Order: sequence, then structure tokens, then C-alpha cells
Amino acid sequence: MATTACFIIVSRNDIPIYEAEVGSAAKREDAAQLHQFILHAALDIVQDLAWTTSAMYLKAIDRFNDLVVSVYITAGHILNIVN
Amino acid sequence: MVDPASTPLGKMLLDEITPVVMVLCTPNVEETCQKNGLTFVQMLSPFCDFNNIDVPVRTASDQPYRLHKFRIRLFNASDIRQPNLEVAKERLKQVITQVGEKDFNELCLDQPPVDNSRARSESENLPSWFQFFNKELIQISSFSDHEAFDHPVACLLVVSSKDEQPINHFVDLFNTNKLPLLLNDGAMDPKILKHYLLVHDNQDGTSEKATKILTEMRITFGSDCQLLCINSSQDGMVERQDNPWPFYKSDASLKQKLGCFLNVDDINEMKDLMQDLSSKHIIPYMELKIRVLNQQVSATRKGFRNQIKNLWWRKGKDDIVDSPNGPTYTFSSIESQIRVLGDYAFMLRDYELALSNYRLISTDYKLDKAWKRYAGVQEMMGLAYFMLDQSRKEAEYCMENAFNTYWKMGPSGQNNATRCGLWWVEMLKTRDQYKEAATVYFRICDEEPLHSAVMLEQASYCYLLSKPPMLHKYGFHLVLSGDRYKKCDQVKHAIRTYRNAVSVYRGTTWSHIKDHVHFHIGQWYASLERYDLAITYMLEVLACSHQSKTTQDIFLRDFLQIVEKTGKNFEVLKLQLPEINISSLKIIFEDHRTYASPTAASVRESTWRSLEEDMIPSLSSGRTNWLELQSKLISKKYKESNICVAGEAVKVDIEFKNPLQISISLSGVSLICELSESSESDGTKSDANSSATELQNDDESTKLTSRDMSSRNFFSLSEVDFSLGAGETVAAQLTVTPRVEGVLQIVGIRWKLSGSVVGFYNFEPNSTKKKSAKGRRANCSPSDNLKFIVIKSLPRLEGYIHPLPKSAYAGDVQHLVLELRNQSECAVKNLKMKISHPRFLNIGKRENLNMDFPSCLEKKTDSEWSCLQANPSNMSESIFMFPEDTIIQGETSFLWPLWFRAAETGNISLYITIYYEMDDVSSTMRYRTLRMHHNLQVLPSLDVSFQVSPCPSKLQEFLVRMDVVNKTSTESFQFHQLSSVGDQWEISLLQPVDTIFPSRSLLAGQALSCFFMLKSYRKSATSEEKTPPFALLGSSVRLGPQGSTELLFDISSSPLADFHHCERLHQENVHQEDPTTVDFILIYRPVKSDVNPGISDPARLFSHHACYCSIASRSPISWLVDGPRTLYHNFSASFCEIKLSMTLYNSSESVASVRINTSDSNSSRNLSDLMEAHATSSGNQVGWHDVALVTDIKVTSDVVEAKFGKSSSLESVPPFIWSGSSSTRAQVEPLSSTKIPLQICVFSPGTYDLSNYVLHWNLLLSNGEGNSDEETRRSSGTCQGYPYHLTVLQSV
Repeated sequence: MATTACFIIVSRNDIPIYEAEVGSAAKREDAAQLHQFILHAALDIVQDLAWTTSAMYLKAIDRFNDLVVSVYITAGHILNIVN
Repeated sequence: MVDPASTPLGKMLLDEITPVVMVLCTPNVEETCQKNGLTFVQMLSPFCDFNNIDVPVRTASDQPYRLHKFRIRLFNASDIRQPNLEVAKERLKQVITQVGEKDFNELCLDQPPVDNSRARSESENLPSWFQFFNKELIQISSFSDHEAFDHPVACLLVVSSKDEQPINHFVDLFNTNKLPLLLNDGAMDPKILKHYLLVHDNQDGTSEKATKILTEMRITFGSDCQLLCINSSQDGMVERQDNPWPFYKSDASLKQKLGCFLNVDDINEMKDLMQDLSSKHIIPYMELKIRVLNQQVSATRKGFRNQIKNLWWRKGKDDIVDSPNGPTYTFSSIESQIRVLGDYAFMLRDYELALSNYRLISTDYKLDKAWKRYAGVQEMMGLAYFMLDQSRKEAEYCMENAFNTYWKMGPSGQNNATRCGLWWVEMLKTRDQYKEAATVYFRICDEEPLHSAVMLEQASYCYLLSKPPMLHKYGFHLVLSGDRYKKCDQVKHAIRTYRNAVSVYRGTTWSHIKDHVHFHIGQWYASLERYDLAITYMLEVLACSHQSKTTQDIFLRDFLQIVEKTGKNFEVLKLQLPEINISSLKIIFEDHRTYASPTAASVRESTWRSLEEDMIPSLSSGRTNWLELQSKLISKKYKESNICVAGEAVKVDIEFKNPLQISISLSGVSLICELSESSESDGTKSDANSSATELQNDDESTKLTSRDMSSRNFFSLSEVDFSLGAGETVAAQLTVTPRVEGVLQIVGIRWKLSGSVVGFYNFEPNSTKKKSAKGRRANCSPSDNLKFIVIKSLPRLEGYIHPLPKSAYAGDVQHLVLELRNQSECAVKNLKMKISHPRFLNIGKRENLNMDFPSCLEKKTDSEWSCLQANPSNMSESIFMFPEDTIIQGETSFLWPLWFRAAETGNISLYITIYYEMDDVSSTMRYRTLRMHHNLQVLPSLDVSFQVSPCPSKLQEFLVRMDVVNKTSTESFQFHQLSSVGDQWEISLLQPVDTIFPSRSLLAGQALSCFFMLKSYRKSATSEEKTPPFALLGSSVRLGPQGSTELLFDISSSPLADFHHCERLHQENVHQEDPTTVDFILIYRPVKSDVNPGISDPARLFSHHACYCSIASRSPISWLVDGPRTLYHNFSASFCEIKLSMTLYNSSESVASVRINTSDSNSSRNLSDLMEAHATSSGNQVGWHDVALVTDIKVTSDVVEAKFGKSSSLESVPPFIWSGSSSTRAQVEPLSSTKIPLQICVFSPGTYDLSNYVLHWNLLLSNGEGNSDEETRRSSGTCQGYPYHLTVLQSV
């Protein structure tokens, strides 16, 4: 379990509307962009899954190395969490 | 499903998994071949593909089938070994670098958007070198001992006819020393099919000798001997259209004529040779071997008994050492034989047989923990399933299993894992499972960054090709791949991948991603010294407000470094630093409207227009006048443009914002303008326009500079330098001053960032939201707002008011001077002025200019005061016309006095507009207006209130109570005088001044009340009308220190009277209409606290105007009971009869009818009863009135019920009774008094309160007077009597 996390709220059309870096780990210089990259890439998966499931919370739908993407989908918006 | 053999993977397998023929040849053979620039293997390679052969084959179970396509692979014996990893890597790197160079040069500057690339076909999409690279990668893991398909099936022994003793050479060639390791270490059977070939060079002579050797060979080695004659072409000039060899010799230079000595006969001979070799020898040999092996396998491993035995035997071997490669198997072991059987069957396309054998051996290897072999078998099983087009699941499972097993082996299985992965990917791709393929590519990535880079890039393309396309993943993997490329210094590849990624991220708001991508592309281009491209990418990241300070610093520094390296002034059209707040764009220009100060320009146009409404000679007519004139000069097209005057600056206010946390410096911030000079005729004018459009076709930056240069003489620009701190916003004012007539267009802004980069910002016509100060142009299109028609220079007045204070205390009266300066040479005339707040500013007269204020206001002798007569004309809110003869000549200034009074507390905006006309009739503009604006803060000074109440003892006299509170915090004031306005009033002191103001001045926060006497001299309505309305005659009392010689101020003099009039107008709305009101003017002065406390500042004067102070009586009727107060009477003789008289005064202007009702009451009433009675009577009793108009005083007697129930009781005799009539009616003429006699009878001595009477009054309005004004006033009422105390004493 990584001690870093990034929290992004993404609106429709993939526009990030809120971003927060949380976690206790010492910040890497490229953490922000890495997280953005991973979350941005995970949107593909989210877009696929969103139509196939009625669940709003999608746990660990995508991963990159030790970073796991979990998503909470609301009716219109998407909310991402990386752990 | 298509035929598996025709899929890319199928083709690949048919190419790769084919019998290997080991070639052993003597140096003489090679020498012969080198004449053609080829090795022997290379020479024969083109003829190893057989696309239309027809070889009958039988399966192990005697099922006949035919092979139509076949391929054999030729390898020199020395090459049959595991490739050297380092060499292989180097080779791969070389391949990639070459491709990188090639691609980079082809790289178009504008990468296509991602949608286009999706639309392109797959083959176009994927760089072709991927295939090649993958092939090379697969070949790294060839000739492994754990799999048999790379093991040579046959051996081709080649000897040249030039060799001495060719037979011996043949024997020598198959000497174990030279054989590959595979054959020697027992991994494969050294007894393989041998084929003997004699090569004869036709250039060495005829083939007779060769034929002889061949016969000899046949005798020695049997029938497997052949002769190949080559180099039949003598001149070496054979040219062919489709040279087959370059494909097989990658490092060949183009000049080399490959196969130049080989003519058609040679080629046919080679073709025949190879075909013969494969179909007559290799295939039958393999077929035979399959049968033999199959029989063996069946005998030992097939059947129930064998399986049990095998299992038992395997279990017994549980204690074997767990080495990574498992136990070694020699060629003679049954496991190897099964494997060979499987591979041979696979190569002969008997996939069923292959699969069953792979399955058989797979469990054995697994039990033996021979993981590499197990994985290899699993891999082959997967491929066999694929080729059989059976059970996809099984195929994928096998591939995954194989991949994982290789992977678990660590570095030794790496290359095999890669190969397996690539095959697996191809399998998935064939089935359109691109998404899964991408993940496999991702898994193939190993420590080797170059391999991973290529794999990741291929993965990204898989994401792109998957349906629906997964663009996010595509972008991400491209970036990952780019990073890896960068790690192994393949910058060009890195740029290529990143640039493809940009197309994904373009237009998104994922700022960190965009910054990362753009910044790195920029950096990499810079490292390749492609600075122009580097800068275009770096520009994208400059406005990175979301990044940390250090990152911003790095971005900016790198950018500036790159710019520096270009060694020239870089000009950028859309520089993002600083941000320009286009909505803040505000253009201030002056046509006929000129502004005295910038604040005046920011005032809303409607404010000015309402002020100027009556002053401008009607807006439309005025405009048409000068537009008509202009239309001669200016074409209709520009009619809607703005007008500005040559020599007068057009100001542009715009905000610059630094989004970064680091400060940036800007220099040379100026406007970009175009001015096309207009000449008299329209013809040349259009020329100017066309030249301007020509310029626009040029390159953007050169256009800007050239435009700048060409028109440099026509206008001048202001340049501003400033630096923006972190996150700072600076509003800059830029000006352009046209010098010649023409059309001026403001195009944009330019600035220099950090002294090196020139940024431009063009005001896009459609995005410009001009918030002009001119409302008049609101409907015009925005582009016109930046276009100006420059007209001939005109006089322009500059106006100042000095010394107009910024803040003042309320009531402050000051003498100001308006100065108008005319800088031009022409004179102006017909000046008019209007002030928005006449309460605050009043226009004086020319004579007042040099007057000594405030002493000029002091009362002089009657003859002198004329000069300060109030002038009624400028007191109303009308326009002040300066005297007809006022002409401000060129380069002179003009002064005019103004009076200022801080009338009201609060923040006040004063607007002054001055209209003037040009003396020069020929000018295009007839008139202009000067608009002045001044903000003023007025602080409260004294809070003065007046209360006027009628004097109880005297008619027509009033008591004035003045309450003053000093609201200031520091100032002290001294009163100078209090004046009542109007000749019908006279005010006088009640007490000596020193008693009122013992401390002389009113300190801050102090309050004071004092009383004055006010006498009315009001005669009648008719006499009052005669007095002029503005002549403020009045009476004053001096409140200054006693004995001072200060003169009183004349309240009828100009500023005071004028201001008073304004105050009256202002307060009119506040107070209800009341005829009996009085106005007061209190004049006071601040105390010079610092110099001499107690002495007022003679230079300053404050005035307070209290208008419409009601003289407090509610009713128009007042009365006074007159009579003795004390008297002696002998009650023993008789009751006492006392005569009283009541004087009634009617202060209204109509005849009043008054009825006095007396009521006898108990004298024992105490005061509270009285109050109660008063309260009830005043509230409830509404007197009836007799409408009959009686002219005489009529005394009627009525029996009136006593009002007070208590008093009507007969139990006790009241101590006095009203004698005479109990009700008296009287008529009082307007503004006159009447006396009514009253009488009481007193029965015993005592003190009596004679207040038990009630007055009913009623105004008798004549019909003519019944206008609305009168109706609002009270026309009737009831008054309770005043207390009147009478003491009657018993006389002795």
C-alpha cells in the first residue's frame, strides 16, 4: 500500500475540476504529473466499465506499478482516487 | 475466421518454424561466391522459399496430405549457436537508431490530430520497422537446446571443384571440431541427413573436371551428391530487375552488384537444387523420422500401462536437484524424442500430431521441474492450438502459462519470454484483442529500456487500434515509451512518441500532463539544436500557474536559455507570459468629448450626457454638422469609426497578469498600430488600404515589424517598462499619438519578456470586448472600436479647479478658481458650463475673482453690497453661460471664480462639463466639451437643529431652540452669527453671548443648546408677495466673542444666498409644505487650534442652512388669557366676580371661526387628571362647526353637557364657575387678533387653575381658496386651555 494518493474529480468530457495530492510520503518531483498520467489513462477503463455495471464504486479498476486506481462514479461526474 | 496460416502470426510461424539446414563449405566455395558479393548461404537463401511445390506427405497414421508451401532455413554451421546477447543488443540498437534518423527527418512539423491517425489504415499507422525489430528480437532466442525446431534437420556439405582432393574435404568438413555445440553436447542427434554438393565456378573452365569429381563422390557417399555450376556469366554485367539478394544481405551497399556473375541458368540450377533438396530429401527424411519416433513413443509412452509406469517412475525422481533448467535430457532420452517428434510434426504442419506429443511431454517436464522445457512446450502447444484454430482459450492459456514460466525463470528465460510474448501478442492481434495485446506488450517490458520503449510504443498502438480506441492509454503508453527512449539516448524516437502523445492531450485541461509533454519535447528539440521547434513547445508551458515555484523557475529559465541559444530576438505571436486580461481593455479617446482627468474618462457616458443634455446644440444636429464636413474627407465606410484628433493621445488601459510565482520583467510594452495616411482624394486613400492588406500576406512577425517601421513617423507610441511580481496584476496605460490625419488602427500589443523574447498580442476583432467610455458607440462592431479616424488637430481646453479640496467638513465655504488653459493656437469661444451639484459648487462672477474671502462677505454699508448680489440666473440647475465676449485665445489661460460649499456629508462626485466652440470655422469639429470630475469626501461637522415654539406669553413671538453637536473628532468651532432669513422675521438674543458660550468655542464631540427670540413681522399675504424671492433680507445676531469687532456676514450676498437657495430647493422635498416656516443660517468658523485657541480662523467660513423650520404651533389659532393674577375679596360680602379677556390670534391666511366652551369643574382636580383629560380631549374630540358665515362676533348661549363626567356631579359645589356664556363663538380675520371677554365667579378664596375650557377652531375657507394646497392643511381643530392660575384671597 503506497502512502501517496491523488484525488481528482473529473467532470464529463474528461475535464479535471478538482485535484488534491494527499498522503504522507515524501513528494516526488514528478508525482503530480505521474498521477495525472495514470488517472488520465484510467479514464479509458472507466468509460468502458461505466456502461457495463450499475455499481458506483469501482475498486481497483486499473493499476500502474504499485499505484491502484479506484473510481467512484456519480450520475454525471467521475471521481478518481489513486492509492 | 480466416485461415490461421494466412494471419500474420501464421505467416510468421511458417517462416520461423521451418527446418534448418546446416551448411558446411570450404573456403574455396566462399571465394567463388564472393565474386557475386555474396556468401554461399546468402546466394542460396532466395531459393529456399517454395510457394508452389506439391509434395505428398503421410502422417504417422498414414493419412496422406500435400505440402504446397515450404521453407527451409540455411545456416552456416558457425552460426548455429545461441546468439551473443551483447552483439544482438548492439544490433537492435543500431536498427532503432537508423530508423530514428530516418523517421526524424521525415517527421512532418505538424503532427496530425489523433482522429486522423485513427482513420488511417493499420499498416500505415504502425511503423514498419516494428516487424523487423520483433523479428530480430525473436531471433535472439534461437538455437536454444530446449526446443528442437532450430536444430538442423540436414547438413549440406559443399566443396568447390577447385579444392584438392574434394572427397577428403567432404569428410573433413563433417569433423566434430567444427560442428556446432548443439550436435556435440548431445542435445541433438549428430546423425543427421547429409547432402553433398560440389560447386563449380564456370569461369575456371568447363565442368568436365567437376563431373568427374561428382562421379567419384557418388561412388563414395552414395546418391546424395549434386553438382552446382555458378558464375556462368563471363562479363559480370548481369542486370536484373528484381534482384532477390539485397533482401537477404542487409548490410550491402547499393553499388555492389549482387549476383552479377549469375545468369538465368545459374539461378535455375540453384532453384532446382534447393527444390530437389527439400522435396526429395528433407521432407521425406522428416516424414520418415516422424514415423520412427512415433513408433518409439507409442511403444514406450502410449497405452495405459506405459502411462502408469511413467508416472511411477517420475515420482521416484522427486529428489532431483531443482536446477533452473531442470535435468538435462540427451537426444536419446524419450523426452527429447517426443519433443523432436512434436517439432517435426509442427514443421510438416501435422499440428494434431504435434499437439498430442507436446501435451504428452508437457506433464513430464512439469513433473521434472524442467521449467524452460516446460515453457517451451507450452508455447508450442499454444501455437499448435492457434494453427489448428481450436479452442482460443486453450491457446491463450498455454501462451500465458509459457510466458509466466519463462518469466519466473529470471534473466535466463528473458529472451524466450520476449519471444513468447511477441507470438502471444500476434495471436491476440489476430483475434482483434488489441487491449489484451497491449497489456502483453506491457508485460514484455524488461530492464532493457530500449526493448521496453519499443514494446510500450507497440502497446500504445494496440490501444489506439482497439475498438473503441483507448486514446488515454495510447497517450500514456506513448509517454512511457518516450521516457524509455530518452533513457537510452534515442532522443529522436522520444520526440516522435511524445509528439504523437501531444495529439491526445491537446485541448485537454490536464495541466501537469501537458506541461510535462511539452516541456520535454522542447528540451529534447533544444538538445538536438532545433531551437525553433523547441521554443514552440516551450511556449506552451510558460503560463504554468499550477506548478510549484521551482518548476516554474525551471520552465522559464530553460525557455530563456533556449531563446538565448537561438542568438536572435525571438518574436512570438501568442506569448502566454504575462496574461493579458482582454476584458480589461479600455480605450480612452477624445473626440468632441475631452476629459480633464483619467477619472473623468471612466465616468459613465450617460452621466455626462444627462449633464450635457441642454448644453450641446442638440446632439443629432451637432453631429451631422461636423460629420457632413468630414464626409468630404472620409469615405462612408469609416463613418461609424471613432474620431480622434491628431496630436492627441489615444489611451489604452489594459491589465497584465503574471500567473507565475516568480517575478517577470517586461520592457518596451507598447501598442501596435497602423496608420494609413489619408490624402485629400479618395483614390490615394484606397491605395493605402491595399498596401496594408498586402502587408498582411507576409509572414506574421515581419509584417508586424515592417508595419511598425513604416508608420513610425505617422504616430508616436509610449513605451512602458515594469516588472510583475508573483501573481501580480498591473494595469498599464499605453498611448498612441497620431501625428497626421488618416485612419488609425490599434492592432495589438507588443512587449519584451526578460529582455529577450518579444511577445505580441493581437486584439482579435471578435474577441475584443471593448468597454469604451463612450456609450455612443455601443452598437458598433468591436473591430471598429479599435479603428479611429484621425482628424486635424483642434484646440483642446484643459481645466483645473484650484484649490478644490479632497475632503472637507460639512458646511465649509471656500472660494475656488476655475482655470481653463488653451494650449493650441486657435481660440475658443461660446463657453458654457454646467455643474452636477449646484449645492456644492456655485459659479461666481468675474468680479469675485480677486476678492478677499471671506471678508468680502462682510456687511458693508448699504451702498456697497451690490457687487455680491445674488444672481438668480446661476442658482437654478441651468447652464451657466460665460459672458458673450469670453474668448480664450491660443496659449492663454482663463480664470473664473467658483464658490464651494460642502453641503452634505458623504462621498460626492462632482461633475463639471464645459462646452466650447472653435473659433476656427473651417475645423471639422465645431465644438468640444471638457468634462471634469472630482471626488470629494465631506465629513460631518456640526449637527444643528432648530426647534421653534410659540412664546406662551406673547403672541407673534417665538422661542428658538438651537441644538448643536460637534460631530468632528478633532475640530473645534466658534459660532459667528445666526441669521433668520426673510424680512418678516427678526431674531434676537435671549441671553448675553458669553452666557451661552462660556468657553467661546464648541470642542470636538461637545453639544450645546441655546435659545433665541424670534419675532414675526408678518403682515399679510399681499404684502409679502412684493418682496423679490431671492433677496434674502433677514436679521442676524452675532454669536462671536463679545466685544470683537468682527462684522456680520451679509447673508444676502452672493455665495451664501445662492447656497441658501440651493438648500431651500433641496430641503423642499423633505419638509412638508407649511406656510409658517422660518429659515436659519448659522455661520461658524473653525478654531485654529494650533495657533491660538479661542481665536477662529478668519480665512475659513462654514455655514449651515436650516430651511423650513416650522414654528411649532399645530393650530393657526393662538390665544392669550389676560387678567389679574392675584386679588383680594371679601367673601363674606358676596362671591367674587372676575373679568378676564382672551386675545385670539389667527396666524393663518383665512378667516377662522373660534368657539370657546367653558366647563365648570371641581377645583380639586389634580394635575394627573388634567393631563389625562388633555390627552383624551386632544385625541378624540372633533369639534363640529357651524357653516354659517357670520360676520359679527356672535355670542350665543348653549347648554353644553360637561365634558368631564366627574365635574358634572352636583355633589360638591365647584369653587368657581364660568359666568356669562358657556360657549362663545368668534370670528377672527386672517393675521389679526380679537379680544373676547370672559368672566368667572369665585366663591371662596384659593388658587384656581382656569384651564377648563376648550377652543374649537375652524378655518373658513372661501371657495376660491379651496385649492389643493389648502386642502392638505388642517382646517379645524380643538385646543385644550392653557393653565392660568388665579389666586383669590380673603380681604380683611
